[in-house]
Amino acid sequence: RIHVEQVKLLDRFSTSNKSLTGTLYLTATHLLFIDSHQKETWILHHHIASVEKLALTTSGCPLVIQCKNFRIVHFIVPRERDCHDIYNSLLQLSKQAKYEDLYAFSYNPKQNDSERLQGWQVIDLAEEYKRMGVPNSHWQLSDANREYKICETYPRELYVPQIASKPIIVGSSKFRSKGRFPVLSYYHQDKEAAICRCSQPLSGFSARCLEDEHLLQAISKANPVNRYMYVMDTRPKLNAMANRAAGKGYENEDNYSNIRFQFVGIENIHVMRSSLQKLLEVSGTKGLSVNDFYSGLESSGWLRHIKAVMDAAIFLAKAIMVENASVLVHCSDGWDRTSQVCSLGSLLLDSYYRTIKGFMLVLSGGVRCGHLDGDPKEVSPVFTQFLECVWHLTEQFPQAFEFNEEFLLQIHEHIHSCQFGNFLGNCQKEREELKLKEKTYSLWPFLLEDQKKYINPLYSFKSQRFTVLEPNTVSFNFKFWRNMYHQFDRTLHPRQSVFNIIMNMNEQNKQLQKDIQDLESKIKQRKNKQTDGVLTKELLHSVCPESPTLKTSLRFKEQTLLPVNDALRTIEGSSPADNRYSEYAEEFSKPEPAVVSLEYGVARMTC
Amino acid sequence: MLGKGVVGGGGGTKAPKPSFVSYVRPEEIHTNEKEVTEKEVTLHLLPGEQLLCEASTVLKYVQEDSCQHGVYGRLVCTDFKIAFLGDDESALDNDETQFKNKVIGENDITLHCVDQIYGVFDEKKKTLFGQLKKYPEKLIIHCKDLRVFHFCLRYTKEEEVKRIVSGIIHHTQAPKLLKRLFLFSYATATQNNTAADPKNHTVMFDTLKDWCWELERTKGNMKYKAVSVNEGYKVCERLPAYFVVPTPLAEEDVQRFQGHGIPIWCWSCHNGSALLKMSALPKEQDDGILQIQKSFLDGIYKTIHRPPYEIVKTEDLSGNFLSLQEIQTAYSKFKQLFLIDNSTEFWDTDIKWFSLLESSSWLDIIRRCLKKAIEITECMEAQNMNILLLEENASDLCCLISSLVQVMMDPHCRTRIGFQSLVQKEWVMGGHCFLDRCNHLRQSDKEEVPVFQLFLDCVWQLVHQHPPAFEFTETYLTVLSDSLYIPIFSTFFFNSPHQKDTNVHQRQLSLPLTQSKSSPKRGFFREETDHLIKNLLGKRISKLINSSDELQDNFREFYDSWHSKPTDYHGLLLPHIEGPEIRVWAQRYLRWIPEAQILGGGTVATMSKLLEMMEEVQSLQEKIDERHHSQEDPQAEPPCLLRNSARLSSLFPFALLQRHSSKPILPTSGWKALGDEEDLAKREDEFVDLGDV
Repeated sequence: RIHVEQVKLLDRFSTSNKSLTGTLYLTATHLLFIDSHQKETWILHHHIASVEKLALTTSGCPLVIQCKNFRIVHFIVPRERDCHDIYNSLLQLSKQAKYEDLYAFSYNPKQNDSERLQGWQVIDLAEEYKRMGVPNSHWQLSDANREYKICETYPRELYVPQIASKPIIVGSSKFRSKGRFPVLSYYHQDKEAAICRCSQPLSGFSARCLEDEHLLQAISKANPVNRYMYVMDTRPKLNAMANRAAGKGYENEDNYSNIRFQFVGIENIHVMRSSLQKLLEVSGTKGLSVNDFYSGLESSGWLRHIKAVMDAAIFLAKAIMVENASVLVHCSDGWDRTSQVCSLGSLLLDSYYRTIKGFMLVLSGGVRCGHLDGDPKEVSPVFTQFLECVWHLTEQFPQAFEFNEEFLLQIHEHIHSCQFGNFLGNCQKEREELKLKEKTYSLWPFLLEDQKKYINPLYSFKSQRFTVLEPNTVSFNFKFWRNMYHQFDRTLHPRQSVFNIIMNMNEQNKQLQKDIQDLESKIKQRKNKQTDGVLTKELLHSVCPESPTLKTSLRFKEQTLLPVNDALRTIEGSSPADNRYSEYAEEFSKPEPAVVSLEYGVARMTC
Repeated sequence: MLGKGVVGGGGGTKAPKPSFVSYVRPEEIHTNEKEVTEKEVTLHLLPGEQLLCEASTVLKYVQEDSCQHGVYGRLVCTDFKIAFLGDDESALDNDETQFKNKVIGENDITLHCVDQIYGVFDEKKKTLFGQLKKYPEKLIIHCKDLRVFHFCLRYTKEEEVKRIVSGIIHHTQAPKLLKRLFLFSYATATQNNTAADPKNHTVMFDTLKDWCWELERTKGNMKYKAVSVNEGYKVCERLPAYFVVPTPLAEEDVQRFQGHGIPIWCWSCHNGSALLKMSALPKEQDDGILQIQKSFLDGIYKTIHRPPYEIVKTEDLSGNFLSLQEIQTAYSKFKQLFLIDNSTEFWDTDIKWFSLLESSSWLDIIRRCLKKAIEITECMEAQNMNILLLEENASDLCCLISSLVQVMMDPHCRTRIGFQSLVQKEWVMGGHCFLDRCNHLRQSDKEEVPVFQLFLDCVWQLVHQHPPAFEFTETYLTVLSDSLYIPIFSTFFFNSPHQKDTNVHQRQLSLPLTQSKSSPKRGFFREETDHLIKNLLGKRISKLINSSDELQDNFREFYDSWHSKPTDYHGLLLPHIEGPEIRVWAQRYLRWIPEAQILGGGTVATMSKLLEMMEEVQSLQEKIDERHHSQEDPQAEPPCLLRNSARLSSLFPFALLQRHSSKPILPTSGWKALGDEEDLAKREDEFVDLGDV
């Protein structure tokens, strides 16, 4: 509706203040900038984390927009009046007061109701429990929370030990913060060991609860192999102790028979947020030198936090794999850190979660996002952090995941876009109240539709279901995730990765296989007609002219395959799940030489 | 690391430091009751190699766990290496043995590879050198390839301890004569086999033909000519016998200052611009001589300033670029990060990893070298200028920068043969003092500067960022860096081609020990260039020299525009030089630290998958070919190299598989919350109450 001409878009990292001139448009859902080359930059209002008006300069009024997907744009609007208007409108638009105003409730990808419903059924959590092997003789489905009577923030369907009666569950829930009593999170069929989750006990300095003690005992008894279990408090010990003064705290090992208690030391969400902020400051510095970067990276502490989450997940996986012990995980309320650690732990344990569909299940199991957290600047770093942990795993084990980095980035994009209903609401009850399944669309079918570009070409299917990943957490192995934090800074982007080359080769392989099949069937057909040997030879001869075309299809240079190119369609409409790369279209559509040809004898890939 | 120590109730549980002294030594507990085995492992000697001294019942520690295990065996010292012959040479599986170094075994240390030797006396670690009064109970050897060996001598006979310790110290630490280098005895003993491998096409640049060929290849022969004025090293012992200069340059000029002040051709770009280098004229106090030097240089510059020559830009490498001192200091800090004595130490440093890395400045030095090379590339490629590199002797940073520029600009240098030829041309013939820079003769620690290692690290950054542009991999570079300390190959064991020729061909003549290098005072060159160039060369050059800001911008634009275009691996190749893109060469530096490896992961996994797929494509192609030529026999299965990649280490082929005991345990978490975060740390996690919605 508003549009302003002659706006300059500055290059964030350019030391010479390079800029593009164009027109800025403001729509109901997006901010759009079209430069003189007709390149479009779309910014969803929901993505905007902060808008800042800087002091007036000679060339105009600078406006800096920081987005939750780590895009930072720096506009210079010639007239202050216009700048002020845009600024105010953006403030209004990016601060949605009600759920009903979120983009997801107005977004319409032109599907009918049954298609939408089918979309929501792609991921079925109930089915997932069956896959894990519950219910069974040790674990049962409890109806205690069917009406959200025990715990509002838990789902209706919960799995608990077979021998845990309802009074025990109710008793335990009264002893746990927010009523979040211990429930099953992941069941390891092979080891018959479980990952359970809950919130902190209301133990204060001395309180105890027999029902809670019984429930923990029931969990360890549900494991026929190992009678002791670990209780993992993911908080630093100091924090947990401080909580005791408020009547909360942690389990006293003396009161619970056969538990082993362990602190993990993952910092809370406030620390994480400030750490991420520091990381962004460091990585946003112009002309970053090696030295400033490394010291900045270290003092932000971000990678250290990632390492702490990873260490906790490794601990979890090893407890199950090596000691065959069940583990109960909690933090304060059993939201963020607990979800991160349980999800990451199951990702290490079960290769199914490393597939595209499996990973969707992990995410549907729920890390909370909190879209209405009040201060829009406060982006919740929990999900970003979880995705980064997964990314580090994909970096350390390039063969272990069915999906690629692009998939993680796309998911991150939509966690904040509020375009789909998946990440809205904090718990099942809230989601039902919002009628998300009736009023919004699910992201997953859209991602599955585009699956081809999210496939990791290195993925090796051979691995067994229970192949455990053992990541290494030496500092050296943690890296800055450039493609996340600098994803919109084109000058810093790698132009081509080995992955594209591999995708290319895969494609060629398939082509060759198809060629072989074609040839074979041709031969068969002809053979059936005439069994004469001489004619067969002639036939072979007649096939030969095809070979030049085959050869050219082998000439890697000419082929341009590309996950990247595919990724480049425009905005909504054609590919609703993807609105990040629109502005790259132009550059990427140039064919890139995929693999070097072998002339010159140069640059052959060797190992 | 996982799996160390026991599950503790508290937070961090790193391997505990000993808090009391036990009367039972750890090694006594863990060495299987001194099971000295019968199966003696035989010492493998190279032709010409001689055993000097040995000691038996030496215990070599294996640092797998916090508790130290050991293996008994024999420690020997020959005139080539120190070797430990353990009783536990367990068979390794195929993949690993297939990639074993054929000259240097796992427990072999060539004498030149020894960096520092420490002795442990009553739990105290001391550097060992010279004559010892007391002999240590434990010997710690730090190697230049960053291995660390611990040998316990407690169970060894006193006589043997004395002999082996003083033997090792003498043969590795004491100054040596050039003629005592092992490569001479090796060459004598293997004389029959010394005929050059016919498959090896590395250009050696020791004939006029080689230079002419290079001129032709780079189309530099229009403006430059190969000269033989230094044949037999008549003019100068620093320069190679043959080299290339601008065509109009008179041969007398070369002789005038023994090759100093002469622009020597390195390489020509496709657009005709060339990379030249020049060593400075000797520093003189006398005004008269200075005047002569001035007019000499004036003449030289006039020659190369006229068409057909492009505009010349002078890059003074000994002035305001990097100093050798800086490189030396940075590397010696940097290598300490990897010379880890035990895993406790490792975990202590791991917490501060990024800041320690930063404080060494090694990565920053790499970045500066790459940046300089890009700047030069920009001038040549985009501005069509000639670049003249200036350095005191033109044999350190000149070699580094000129070869880096060639790797970036000339795809031929990214093939294996091309790369080797480049090293031969710029480093060996360029007169890089390998002998001094590697301190092979232990004559002066001050001269030991890892310039070549720095070059390899810069190239590694390029290989790492653009693997498809190179014919070789990082493993090639790692092996090459190792060969710097293996005195079988003569490539890296001389200060100049002259030194090599005189020693290799007339070995019977014993040379006077050349402490040769008259090293003039530092800083001389900067003054000279400031003074001379500004005055002598008029406006044309000084304009260029002072316009560094303008160049900065040109550089940016060039750099950005290259990176925004698709990469042509056959063309110009630029590295990313933003902070996060300069990485640690893990395979070279971290390979001996088991804590740092990822089992079944890392780039090795990617590579092996890639190989697998290439094989697949190949075999499919063969199948198609077969269809067309059905009379031919079906091809045998192509050999597959890395079949069971699932369990390969990320540091393959160097790190051996380490099995960790695998109780769940949290690694060190010894850091404290940062001061200003304490408030936050104490705050409760927020919880969005449903009532708010």
